[in-house]
Amino acid sequence: MANVEKDPVSGTNTTGHEWDGIKELDTPLPKWWLTTFYACIIWSIGYWVVYPSWPTLNDYAKGVFGTTNRLEHAKDMAAVAQAREAWTSKFEGKDIEEVAQDSELMTYARAGGKAIFADNCQPCHGAAGSGNKNFPVLADDDWLWGGTLDALQTTITYGIRSTHDETRISDMPALVADETITPAEADQIADYVMMLGGQGGSDAGKTLFDDNCAVCHSEDGSGNQDLGAPRLNDGIWLYNAGKEGVLAQITKPQHGVMPAWVGRLSDTEIKQVAIYVHSLGGGQ
Amino acid sequence: MSDPSTTTVNQPEPSGHGDGPLYAERVKVHPRHFDGPFRKWKTILLWVFLAVYHCSAWIRWDRGPGAPDQAILFDLPGRRAYIFWIEIWPQEVYYLTGLLILAAVSLFAASAIAGRVWCGFACFQTVWTDLFMKVEAFIEGDRNKRIRLDKAPLSMDKILKRIAKHVIWLLIAGFFAMSFLWYFNDAPTITKEIFTGQIGGWTLVVMLVLTGMTYIMAGFAREQVCFYMCPYGRFQSVMTDEDSLVVTYEAWRGEPRAQPGKNRDFSDRGHCVDCSLCVQACPTGIDIRNGQQMECIGCGLCIDACNTMMEKFDLPKNLISYDSYTNMVAREQGKGKQVHLIRPRTIYYAVILTIVATAILTSLSFRDRLEVNIQRDRAPLFVTLSSGDIRNGYTYKVLNMESSAKEYTLSVEGLKGATMTVIGDEQTDQEVLDLKVKGDHVGTFKIFMKAPRNMLEGASTDITFVLKDKETGEIFNQSTVFRGP
Amino acid sequence: MKHEIFEKNTILLAIAILLTVAIGGLVQIVPLYTIDSTIEKVDGVRPYSPLELAGRNIYVREGCYLCHSQQIRPFRDEVERYGHYSLAAESMYDHPFQWGSKRTGPDLARVGGKYSNAWHTAHLIDPRAVVPESVMPMYGFLAKNELTFNDAGAHLATLRAAGDPYTDEQIAQAAADFTTQALGEASGGDVDALMARYPKAVVGDFDGDPSKVSELDAVIAYLQMLGTLVDFTTYKPEGEMAR
Repeated sequence: MANVEKDPVSGTNTTGHEWDGIKELDTPLPKWWLTTFYACIIWSIGYWVVYPSWPTLNDYAKGVFGTTNRLEHAKDMAAVAQAREAWTSKFEGKDIEEVAQDSELMTYARAGGKAIFADNCQPCHGAAGSGNKNFPVLADDDWLWGGTLDALQTTITYGIRSTHDETRISDMPALVADETITPAEADQIADYVMMLGGQGGSDAGKTLFDDNCAVCHSEDGSGNQDLGAPRLNDGIWLYNAGKEGVLAQITKPQHGVMPAWVGRLSDTEIKQVAIYVHSLGGGQ
Repeated sequence: MSDPSTTTVNQPEPSGHGDGPLYAERVKVHPRHFDGPFRKWKTILLWVFLAVYHCSAWIRWDRGPGAPDQAILFDLPGRRAYIFWIEIWPQEVYYLTGLLILAAVSLFAASAIAGRVWCGFACFQTVWTDLFMKVEAFIEGDRNKRIRLDKAPLSMDKILKRIAKHVIWLLIAGFFAMSFLWYFNDAPTITKEIFTGQIGGWTLVVMLVLTGMTYIMAGFAREQVCFYMCPYGRFQSVMTDEDSLVVTYEAWRGEPRAQPGKNRDFSDRGHCVDCSLCVQACPTGIDIRNGQQMECIGCGLCIDACNTMMEKFDLPKNLISYDSYTNMVAREQGKGKQVHLIRPRTIYYAVILTIVATAILTSLSFRDRLEVNIQRDRAPLFVTLSSGDIRNGYTYKVLNMESSAKEYTLSVEGLKGATMTVIGDEQTDQEVLDLKVKGDHVGTFKIFMKAPRNMLEGASTDITFVLKDKETGEIFNQSTVFRGP
Repeated sequence: MKHEIFEKNTILLAIAILLTVAIGGLVQIVPLYTIDSTIEKVDGVRPYSPLELAGRNIYVREGCYLCHSQQIRPFRDEVERYGHYSLAAESMYDHPFQWGSKRTGPDLARVGGKYSNAWHTAHLIDPRAVVPESVMPMYGFLAKNELTFNDAGAHLATLRAAGDPYTDEQIAQAAADFTTQALGEASGGDVDALMARYPKAVVGDFDGDPSKVSELDAVIAYLQMLGTLVDFTTYKPEGEMAR
């Protein structure tokens, strides 16, 4: 059994056990440590009283403070909204064009828009709108659905080919699959499109183009932003560039999807990010 | 040198081996007042330094509207340092570093020549401890009275004296803290704010901490700062050589010491009468008769004390002297005074001081009051426009360090056909841009540069932004690149 | 109490450990099954459709929860970035829940509808093609692996035993619903009926390859419905919560 000895040097008892000739001092816990420990226990009892704590059968003790995570959160959000009120209230009821007249609001919008863009738009459209494969570049001056503030706002709000009821849709018909034109004819059209953009090609497919394509893309290939028909006579391509790319799009058209942000972003936030996108260098 | 034994009159004998604590408690030092040249100069310098410290911040310097009018100001929130007519931006912080180097080297040079004059006369710890001790002596009396008061039981008199002393100490400490804040804020404004209770945050923290630290260091810690905390005392052995002035007890003359009897014959004994006045006068409580020691801060008050005694006995003065080791040995050997002011050590310091001072002055006189930074947009690397042109974005910052607004023109070299657009401005697709920057301001411009694709030299073309001051015609170039596909 | 009593008696030690742990469990775990406020039902929450279920199983198989959490906590910065905080009810049909504990990648609790199917395809095949700074592994093999789920009905029936309220109709139509949701109108199935059985399900070719149903189709179908079920414009927290 225990053989407790008193250590002469320190005055403390040993634990009474010996392990391979080694004895251990049973030094008592420091008073300050013990006091702090007991104080913490008593403090915790206070916690039980004021914060949600012990569960009952179907409920739990709510605590004297009556606080919950969700309530605290709601308070936080309310405080944030109030702090921002000074600025966001100036956006309300204003057209985006009206906002553009106010240089202070514009500075705020650009700063806020930058953050919103980074969180929501960057994965598809790339940092600062530099684009990604098959996702439009927002920093250039080539727009599918218009680059004015108003057009940008509409696109962001309802999306393109999104699940929203009021989304805008453009449809590049599968002319070859529909057998409207033959593959050979598609090749000719692709050549003509190259010529429209000053990239060589030939005008053999001019009639075919005028008959099938000009209705949306305009006779000179400058596109139609109301219909979302891309401009064909510049060097900017959404999918693949060059004649191969054009031919691929005629044969098997790809249709990208721009999500609708209404509901996910507030009206003011959409205005901000539209203003930011507009300021990237290509705004109309 | 004399035998450096560690026993001193004021400190208790440290116990060697065996039981008992190995720690010797500190005994409070109560220096006794003696008139003399060292005390006179110490007092004069005390008031001079206090005056400079407390008053300098109040000097005004007109810098025009909108700029602070304080001559010496370290404006941390505004990121500027003002020293009379010199304004230093954060990018130029090395001038302040240079100032520190100058101060440090001057200190080393002073030590090499005159010994621990800093410790004895100029160090803020010494100055404020001396001031606090003066207050203590004023209220509680000279050394013997103070020692008696320490030992006396609590009485109304003792309590009142102590309260008075500590209140005055705290006021002095508070004044020190407030004066410190004067150098970092506009002095009149911050003073008003302090007295109307409007300071908060870090200002309040600094005020409280400095008051507390001054009170503790000068009121209680005193010589322990010099002994244990300050590194300067510890490397004095490399700061001085045998030609530097030090406080020395001339043991060859003073030993063997003995109490004077009726017999005033000093022919076969040392001049030291073992009166221990030197120990009583010492603010750090050491016995200089043990020789040069780290704890001696070189104030020379013991010299004043000993000389009063030497006078009484009609003995030559300066048994403790403020002189070089070389001279002391020369005296011992009956030779003449040997002053070696010019020696390798002092030459080195003089040279370094000259170089650093010249460098700072030249640099200050010729520094540009304009700096330019370019940051090219990383995303997107470049943009292809519908016209086929390639566009790069740049953030162009012009640091106008002069107090007046400036107008510049900006053009590009190295890329034919390049045109620029400034965001937020009406200038679009220009070959030359007009930029305006306010005085003492950083002008930030977002610039889009457009160039025809065939003008590019491959993926990266080297270009130069050329900024020209409209008024002076001065040109500032900054090179960068223009990237393309 | 002397330490010795426990140190020298294994059985006593085991019982004491059990008691201590049981207290923790009793206080922390059991109440969550009984307290009303943690088992609130919320309108809109429904069990997974067969395709979504298959996608979820792949999500668990690939260990996506190791880097992606699915719990938006009631904190301002999380709500501002990801959307409304997650409700317990939104993971009531998850066996097991995918709340996760690490965010190497962003929280996915409300990722549904945030990115297009094409983006998810591009991202899962090569994350760095769309997010250059990503450290996410590449999951291109998901597009290659064909996915069949002929025993979908049996799966749903098992889940019904675990408490998910699948109807007989849903179980019967499971295999057909699987194909219909993955291929859309082109499959010849009844999309409207599918949508009636599983509101807010996303239908259509997900990975851009209509020739087969791949694992990628299933995963994207699962991702695209996450967090979309509850209409937060009409959601009101129950009783106590609203205080």
